[in-house]
Amino acid sequence: MKREPFFVLLAWAVLLLSVVVLGSAVFVLGFGYGDSPCVLCWAQRTGMTLVALMGVFVLRCGARPRYLGWSVLLAAWGLYMGVRHSAGHVVRDVGQGFSVVLFGAHTYVWSVFVFWMCVILMGVLLLLLPESVRTRALRPLRPLDRVAMWAFLVVVAGNIVQAFASTGPPPYMGQSDPVRFSFKPRYWVWSTEEWAPAPISRRGRWAIERPSLDGLATNPAEAPITTTGTLDVSRRLEVRLPTADSVTDLVYDPASDRFAVTTAHGVYILDGTLERVLRHTVVDPGFSVDMDEFAGAAFLDPHTVLALARNKSYVVLREAERADPVKNYRFFLESFEAFDEVARSRFATVRSKLMYVMSVAYEPDTQSLYTVTVPNQQVHQLVVSRVDRRDMTLSEEFLPVLAQGSAVSLRPGKRSLNELYVTGATAADGRLYAISAAYGLLLTIDLASHALVAAYAVPGADRPTGLALKGEALYIVDEGGAVSVVARPDAGR
Amino acid sequence: MEFLNFVLIFAAGYLVVRRPEREALAFGLAVTSTLLMVLLFLIGTRTSLLPGLNY
Repeated sequence: MKREPFFVLLAWAVLLLSVVVLGSAVFVLGFGYGDSPCVLCWAQRTGMTLVALMGVFVLRCGARPRYLGWSVLLAAWGLYMGVRHSAGHVVRDVGQGFSVVLFGAHTYVWSVFVFWMCVILMGVLLLLLPESVRTRALRPLRPLDRVAMWAFLVVVAGNIVQAFASTGPPPYMGQSDPVRFSFKPRYWVWSTEEWAPAPISRRGRWAIERPSLDGLATNPAEAPITTTGTLDVSRRLEVRLPTADSVTDLVYDPASDRFAVTTAHGVYILDGTLERVLRHTVVDPGFSVDMDEFAGAAFLDPHTVLALARNKSYVVLREAERADPVKNYRFFLESFEAFDEVARSRFATVRSKLMYVMSVAYEPDTQSLYTVTVPNQQVHQLVVSRVDRRDMTLSEEFLPVLAQGSAVSLRPGKRSLNELYVTGATAADGRLYAISAAYGLLLTIDLASHALVAAYAVPGADRPTGLALKGEALYIVDEGGAVSVVARPDAGR
Repeated sequence: MEFLNFVLIFAAGYLVVRRPEREALAFGLAVTSTLLMVLLFLIGTRTSLLPGLNY
């Protein structure tokens, strides 16, 4: 009988998949070490078994197109299963994961590799496919074929035993956190927990909408907290920019007596009276890091500005007298000579990971940058994040609490600080001042105690987007560029 | 349910090895097993069908 490379290779592939992959999973890991697959692992193991089964079909009945096509579909589905399962775990800290590690990788990662190898092997087999293979006649079996097929059946029988013990007959099915395998029935857990009602979602907890000021309550009397008092507007100014874009933040530098203003992608330096634009640029948001829209700005020194986007990406720009416009073409859309781009990157956070931010403040005494989250439909938390300016790495995240003995308290009902929507912030003397577009409140947070020590109503604060501190006055800017000046509430503290 | 799935696979494999003239039934069992596998995986992941990552 002529040996055809196609069927020799296929028989070895079935043997390898059955004995080494599936066989070790059930007989060594399962029966030997007590490892029980979770519901997702069971599906991936089933997928591999079905791929091997298709190999058995081909060995017995020849390379019929439907076997080959079904095998490819199984491998494609298997790749999706492996990636879907791995995704939640591969982003954890080094060494962390779910269940067993084999040769340096968890089993769900090996699943991706196995299905990928199946796809590659299918390609190789198709290249080796004999011209005369298409026939309805059964193949004459060689010893290697018989060994592969019977090894497959023995491994499947082992899986039947393990599956009966670990998952049970219908309607029971696999579990998310299976217990250690045992041949003793008193340790078997048969569960229908996976059948419990649950919402169907494509992205699950990652379905987070972008921030918006639309629909926010603006009346301080409806705020979740009582207020310390009211801050009256002493002056009104206007920021006039050579653009129709909305203003997204305002920050002041006392050393140079200048303001910086941001729009969605623009950075503008203005004089201390807000009347003259001294220099500006528009950042290319599509180059390299996804820059989203700017929502916060901070002076890192008199000539260096950090502009932070809602997704916590940032650029650091340094004023330049003779910037190279050719070199800067990649960074900017306008004014290639006004700034040099020093850095473009992102803040990585933990508590804030699933929330956007609309503010940033710089505390020079501690060289710390602070951001404050805005709530969304999935995650409702007020989180303050502190990033160390020296390495732009997260140093701290905290949930502000109400200060003991302060005039600020929660109003009756299920109210919470998490209803606040901070769109501007500035820091000085160990305190973070933040303007909440929701309920028009100016907040004071003590950065050492993490306590919200004061909250003031600012009448007429409509859609504020930025907050700056100049001397003992706070400048609140709205998206139209109108600036309301109020006294710093704890001036002279 | 996974137990049932492996029973289906065993039946399909046994038929094609020992009773190849029942190939059509065997393949039908393989397809049924595939669909059951897909169903079980989707039940386990229905709250987040896409990999839980930032897109």
